[in-house]
Amino acid sequence: MRGDIACPGCDLLLNIGTLKHSESASCPRCGNFLTKHREDAYDRVLAFASAALAFLIIANSYSFLSFSASGLESTMTLRQTPGALWDYGLPAVSVLVAAFIIVIPAIILVLMLVLCIPLRQGRHHPWLAPVAKFTFLAQNWAMVEVFIIGVIVSLVKIAAMATVEIGESFWAYVAFTIFFTAAVASLDRYQCWERIEALGAGTQ
Amino acid sequence: MTTAASKGLSTCHLCFKLAPADVHHCPRCDSAMHLRKNDSIQRTLALLITAGLLYIPANLYPIMYTDQLGTTEASTIVGGVILLINLGSAPVALVIFVFSVMVPSGKLLAMFYLVWTVERHSPLDPRQRSIMYRVTEFVGKWSMVDVFVVSILVALIHLSGVLVIRPGVAAICFAGVVIITMIAAESFDSRLIWDNMSDDMDDESNELQSDARPPL
Repeated sequence: MRGDIACPGCDLLLNIGTLKHSESASCPRCGNFLTKHREDAYDRVLAFASAALAFLIIANSYSFLSFSASGLESTMTLRQTPGALWDYGLPAVSVLVAAFIIVIPAIILVLMLVLCIPLRQGRHHPWLAPVAKFTFLAQNWAMVEVFIIGVIVSLVKIAAMATVEIGESFWAYVAFTIFFTAAVASLDRYQCWERIEALGAGTQ
Repeated sequence: MTTAASKGLSTCHLCFKLAPADVHHCPRCDSAMHLRKNDSIQRTLALLITAGLLYIPANLYPIMYTDQLGTTEASTIVGGVILLINLGSAPVALVIFVFSVMVPSGKLLAMFYLVWTVERHSPLDPRQRSIMYRVTEFVGKWSMVDVFVVSILVALIHLSGVLVIRPGVAAICFAGVVIITMIAAESFDSRLIWDNMSDDMDDESNELQSDARPPL
């Protein structure tokens, strides 16, 4: 029946009916958040995701941090963060870091754009379900906000040894983190799948 | 309280679609469907033990080396925290301590506790245990902070002969701990916490019925 949902946290069967704009539902038994409906969800996702993508490109184009000690200077770009680990013989960590902070977030953003444009326009495509599936599967493995904390901790650590200068890319990455988090938060899993199903039913 | 399972329905873990329990692939997103996650307890326990074992070298071996003017200094995760306190940056030391020591060890303990209470059909407040699970799931990736710090320091500080920072083998062990505990949290099925409660209630009602049965 429409509006039927089982809480993924405790399996309680509920009917949440049709939510109004900016109404959200949580499980009354275990308190798990279920879904939030927003009329403008896809507009928000598209806006935030394209902004995030633009800032990610900027973050990859300039220097991220630079530091100087004893008259010598060294600069680092975002890509060198995983790159240096590779050079020191830790390719596995290097690949993981690159995946968590650049590759997976970038893939998620592109998939969200591909997904939300037809969802917004109300057009059905057979590839909507697999695209949505990969978007949601990948979301657990993006760690952009964790990386920002890592940068701040590093800054404090280095500040004790030498002078650090923050590059343009750092600020771009901060902006990217904000927009990325907002985009992911705007794409509600339950609503998105209901929409895909409704569009699919309409074409058959 | 009606559960989906009691109505013979399973929920897709990815898209929340409800389908009869004998359907093995979600009709909406084609993910594998189960009434409960497959072998949840065994898988979670196996992953937790793996993570617990990896946690030992992650703490014993150095996570990074600092070569400064001919001398090499190795620092472990806990050593890094102590160093930060000595440098006078207590707030950052606290951040690293929380994310690199408290969160991974707390997460391992919390998951072991949840598995143990589910196995023992513990009557302890299921709502609190559900919250505990959600917190554990949420904080999981934050332990990666230390790995990111190492990757940033290594990339930034390479003034050969003056100051060079190199990564240590603990970095990969620690990254492994974080990822494996994340997978462990994902393979744990929090609905099992609640299944126990309804099982117990069923037992009670059965007993009542048998008591009410007239003696032959």
